[in-house]
Amino acid sequence: MATTTATLTLSSADLLTDNLSLSATMNLYKGGTTATGLDELNYHRALIPTGTNFVLISESAALNTNASNYVYIINKNTDVTDYVVVSIRSEVIGRLYAGDWMFIPYSDATTATAGTDDPSGDDSDIAIQANTHDCIIEYAMFHDGETLLTHTAS
Amino acid sequence: MATTTATITLSSADIADNALSISNTATLYTAGTDTGITETTGLSRKKFATASEFILLDHGLAGSQMADVTADKSCKVYIKNMNERGDGTKYAAIRINSIEIGRLYGGDWTFFPWSGGNNKDVDIQTYDASGADATETTLEYTVFFE
Repeated sequence: MATTTATLTLSSADLLTDNLSLSATMNLYKGGTTATGLDELNYHRALIPTGTNFVLISESAALNTNASNYVYIINKNTDVTDYVVVSIRSEVIGRLYAGDWMFIPYSDATTATAGTDDPSGDDSDIAIQANTHDCIIEYAMFHDGETLLTHTAS
Repeated sequence: MATTTATITLSSADIADNALSISNTATLYTAGTDTGITETTGLSRKKFATASEFILLDHGLAGSQMADVTADKSCKVYIKNMNERGDGTKYAAIRINSIEIGRLYGGDWTFFPWSGGNNKDVDIQTYDASGADATETTLEYTVFFE
């Protein structure tokens, strides 16, 4: 097993009357375990062309079976008007403007209906769409196994 | 305007052959500007003991702070499950419009942008290994918005 930590620090000297200083640290563990660390990782950097909603992280039966996964996404653009819309299934989570990041648990939760583009029947892809301009993003997923696709020569 | 920052650090010495160290700081701006966000709910703490799904952040509550959150405005949400991890089977499911995003086990936190909008509330439901569970759970959360 691996030991991976995620730490958040929120701070502001002038948002409130008093200083805001909040820190939270967590270990990334496998679901259903007391302290067994996740030991698989994907880390990507990608250019997201504007105008199309792309699948960023594809759902899979393994991600759902081991439903303790964590996803980090950051928009690396620098123009403050550039943003990406991040959604899961058909639901928009929110917009990441230039420099913004997000860190969420990802359970790839199931629905019952499987389809040709949805082999496990959950259709819980994480999707992303760039607006205004193409966006460079970096994203990581810490997980406990993905479904590997059998190679088919075409 | 105010200056509020959110810094994430992801680190591991052994998840890969080489050490992993990712750190980034975001300044919380209003949408599409470099003007700092000036509104927040402040840090909130909520205890509950119900097996039913309930609304944590209610966009549909007229006149509430969350009613101001819409897709074209900037909003960031922080939620932490303050419970002990225990055997690792109890968790709080985080949902938007009843679509599950992920599961916060005891000690886990999340930070994400939220578009809000009609019926796009942030909902919570707690589970254990056998299903929906009414064990008392404590969440801390805060929202930054414009």
